[in-house]
Amino acid sequence: MTEIHPSLAQCAVVAAALKILLFPAYKSTDFEVHRNWLAITHSLPIWDWYYEKTSEWTLDYPPFFAYFECSMSQIARLVDPAMLRVYNLGYDSWQTVYFQRFSVIVSELVLLYALQMFIDSAHGTSRRAAQAAAISILLSPGLLIIDHIHFQYNGCMYGILIASLVLARHKSGLLVSGLVFAALLCMKHIYAYLAPAYFVFLLRTYCLSPRSIYKIQFFNCVKLGSGIAAILGLAFGPFALKGQIPQILSRLFPFSRGLCHAYWAPNVWAMYSFMDRLLITVAPRVGLSVNQEALKSVTRGLVGDTSFAVLPEVTPRMCFALTLLFQAIPLTKLFLWPTWDTFIGAVTLCGYASFLFGWHVHEKAILLVIIPFSLIALRDRRHLSAFRPLAVAGHVSLFPLLFTPAEFPIKTVYTIFWLMLFLVMFDRLAPASNRQRFFLFDRFSTLYIAISIPLIAYCSLVHGVVFGNRYEFLPLMFMSSYSAVGVVGSWLGFMGGVFHVIDNIRVVGQDCIEK
Amino acid sequence: MAAPSSAAHKPRRKTKKTATYDAIAKPEALVRTPSFPLAAFLWPARGSVSQWEVLPLILMAVGLFRWAAGLWGYSGFQAPPMFGDFEAQRHWMEITTQLPISQWYFHDFEWWGLDYPPLTAYHSWLLGKIGAIIDPTWFELFASRGSHDPTLKIYMRATVIVSEYLIYIPAAVIFVRRYSRLFGVAPWTAWVALVAILMQPATILIDHIHFQYNTVMLGFVLSSMSSMLAGRHMWAAVFFVAALGFKQMALYYAPAVFAIIAIATVISFAILILPIVLGTLYDASRGIDSQPDLDGPHPPLPIFPQLAEYLDTNAIYYPVVEQLVQMVHRVFPFSRGLFEDKVANFWCAINVVIKMRKYPAVLLQRISLAATLAAIAPANFILLVRPRKQLLPYAFAATAWGFFMFSYQVHEKSALLPLLPMTVLLAGNQGLGKDIRAWVGFANLLGAWTMFPLLSRVDLKVPYAVLTLLWAYLLGLPPTSTSAYFQEGQSPWLQWSTAIVHGAFYLLMIVWHGLAQFVTPPADKPDLWVVANVGIGAAGFMLCYFWCLAKLVQESGILARNASQSPGGNKKTQ
Repeated sequence: MTEIHPSLAQCAVVAAALKILLFPAYKSTDFEVHRNWLAITHSLPIWDWYYEKTSEWTLDYPPFFAYFECSMSQIARLVDPAMLRVYNLGYDSWQTVYFQRFSVIVSELVLLYALQMFIDSAHGTSRRAAQAAAISILLSPGLLIIDHIHFQYNGCMYGILIASLVLARHKSGLLVSGLVFAALLCMKHIYAYLAPAYFVFLLRTYCLSPRSIYKIQFFNCVKLGSGIAAILGLAFGPFALKGQIPQILSRLFPFSRGLCHAYWAPNVWAMYSFMDRLLITVAPRVGLSVNQEALKSVTRGLVGDTSFAVLPEVTPRMCFALTLLFQAIPLTKLFLWPTWDTFIGAVTLCGYASFLFGWHVHEKAILLVIIPFSLIALRDRRHLSAFRPLAVAGHVSLFPLLFTPAEFPIKTVYTIFWLMLFLVMFDRLAPASNRQRFFLFDRFSTLYIAISIPLIAYCSLVHGVVFGNRYEFLPLMFMSSYSAVGVVGSWLGFMGGVFHVIDNIRVVGQDCIEK
Repeated sequence: MAAPSSAAHKPRRKTKKTATYDAIAKPEALVRTPSFPLAAFLWPARGSVSQWEVLPLILMAVGLFRWAAGLWGYSGFQAPPMFGDFEAQRHWMEITTQLPISQWYFHDFEWWGLDYPPLTAYHSWLLGKIGAIIDPTWFELFASRGSHDPTLKIYMRATVIVSEYLIYIPAAVIFVRRYSRLFGVAPWTAWVALVAILMQPATILIDHIHFQYNTVMLGFVLSSMSSMLAGRHMWAAVFFVAALGFKQMALYYAPAVFAIIAIATVISFAILILPIVLGTLYDASRGIDSQPDLDGPHPPLPIFPQLAEYLDTNAIYYPVVEQLVQMVHRVFPFSRGLFEDKVANFWCAINVVIKMRKYPAVLLQRISLAATLAAIAPANFILLVRPRKQLLPYAFAATAWGFFMFSYQVHEKSALLPLLPMTVLLAGNQGLGKDIRAWVGFANLLGAWTMFPLLSRVDLKVPYAVLTLLWAYLLGLPPTSTSAYFQEGQSPWLQWSTAIVHGAFYLLMIVWHGLAQFVTPPADKPDLWVVANVGIGAAGFMLCYFWCLAKLVQESGILARNASQSPGGNKKTQ
């Protein structure tokens, strides 16, 4: 097999150069959050970590992440000890900035390693596609915006996720895959959204006999169970001994928040809220009752705690039920056909379901969908045509994370660069599907992508010129509603790909005609 | 390397491209693997990819690096009392938009007085007018001095990028295309060269970080060169005058240009200064004085005072004469010394041994003139005798190196001028071959390195390191790789000498960085590291000058007969 150019490492070097140049860029409060965690884990005994609240940014990630911060703080101590003082709120000396920014770049080596594993796990003609997909993840504008400008450590954690997904490709790696995923859960609990797919897949392929689902492989169950227990024990055990688990859980799952985040993540609830706003103007004419109290909050624009004026309220219970329902569909398929491709599809769809229907979803969570999807986007053109609107919508929806003028060219140009490069490249690499495509689906997606250009122009430029500072919620609302259409559209397209009922009928029909 | 097999499935859109791809891929397959990372990055673009897919991606990528680099500080950021180049450019926007045109060149010289030719003034005026729409306080007369409003920084950074994308980048794209076609170089190779040219570290460091508009001038020079390639001499002259009118530094190329096109240049020059002549006449007729601060009669002309004896100071044309003389006076600072700061040129290097300042200024001016003429004469002689288009970059580079090494009042940023024509060689015959890549890379890295003292003064070490190392990495140069040395088919003697000489310089540069970073110079020689930088830089640039000259001689075939007799004789000059 000849070498494919450019290699992943070469891309990583150039990307690292750009990331270092971005050191002085805007950084969000997450920067201070992580500095504070460095300080907490370094200067306080472990029993105080989840009780400390000098800063409003308390530690709300699971223990493995706290250990990770604690080990980084050992190096931070040599760079600038002042950043490790808990009361030193908002401290950002240049050493602190350099250290924290650099730690993100270094921790991304995990992602690099995992992606190389992914490339190496592909064989033959698909290797080329795997390399393209791996580079697209490495250079993802989502990671650039969230990690290297906004500030977080997603690259490292998605690296662990990908490593775990790739390990599941071979029978020998199933156990390790499950354990790595368990460790990831103990690092950031958002990945629990993907856990059902893991559960079903490991259950079917590892715990049950491949020949019959009624035969249980007991030894495998014991290995997996004890392994997971050991990892959980390592993470939470010390805290459990001191009876701190309720306190940790209250930090990890703050249920007091509203349905939508301050900026609506582009999901079903964003469309629901948008419908509600529209109905406010229509309702009096049709004779629907309008909740006056909610109206007041509506006019304030986007607030944390959204309440609906016309449409019925949404409860966390409903969100949970809907999420589970739409996760159940792909999981059933996974249980019946437990191949690696279905597994990645199921992981993606679990991500979709929880992103689209979850309670208080953050827009950054879109990476939960995009990154697993990237691994299989090149399987055939059907997957690609569902991936395309997601890639556009998902990344455009991240734009409001960066609102400073200096970063505007970076986020837009980089995203356009990435979309142009990879959508063109993927188009060449994806083999045709052996099934019929959805009627007009990709025409719509082309139209959809085209709309993004005037939309971005309006939101970032025209709106400010025309309205000044008034109606600030308007561009955000358009942005998230637009993105929501794309994400939901791609979800429907992908679900359609999974359940190609109509297609099967068509294919069968065509076969009959041909015969 | 074959396209993904689609035997089992029928591609939905069976494009003709896939068919031609294989046909092209076969001969390309003989072209080994990419020999340096930049080629690897553009590797997938070989074959059937259209330029409309590659070019936008290239322009976006280089733009991202420019903008990201611009997030760092600029020269004189929060450094009162005088600030730096950023303030100079901002101040020119202030005076050109706030003062009548006849006062531009007379306004307060001490505070960054306008000392660039008129096109810079017009450019500043335009940018000042646009900027004032966004925020008029940026360019208020006097009140805005030393402003460091963060939005102003973004605006100024944006103006550099926009000016560059309007002038330099189209010029580079067109030049690379024309020049590579001249040698029948494949378009794919030309893309690689284009990226290398647009990622030149010194240019990004000086314009987008340290802050200046050199790329406008360099863009006009490139346009002029590509017009020469196309045989459009009138346009070549127009563009060259535009370059000259933007920054007098373009004079470094002037002999080479005049060797080709003289008359059109003069006419274009007349058009260039027309606005300032008309503006002066208009202001004079309305009674606006060019020096409103003066009470008494105007002082005599700053240079050429003898002119006044022949001219009537009350005549209608006198304000124009006065204006132009003042402009020349401002633009060409003969009143200053042989060199200003530490520059890696001949005079500054020799100064370590012989203190130049003890000699009278007039003598130094004459010596410098003679040395410069001697240095540029061979290249221009060859160009006159053999005016071949293929030789243009060599001739431009050799002439500019001659000026840089020997002329009067050279600035370290002027190294950009010889670097540009030298770097475009990458698009030419064997441009990505080892020999040219090694020398172009050497000159660029050395050039960026001589600018380090300038950059470290404003704490720009990180972007310096990132951009130079990135470029070295992309082109497979030391310190990241030695792939540019030991080309097959060259005499081993030559290969070894190039590798050893370059290796020694790279080693010196690395050692120097270590010393400058960690060792404080002895108390009686506080400038020791800077002087060492200048000395090494000057020696390296001298080598580059001789290399350009030698290549010019070799490519022009002037010594073809001699060379056929003694092939070693030609190569010894290298």
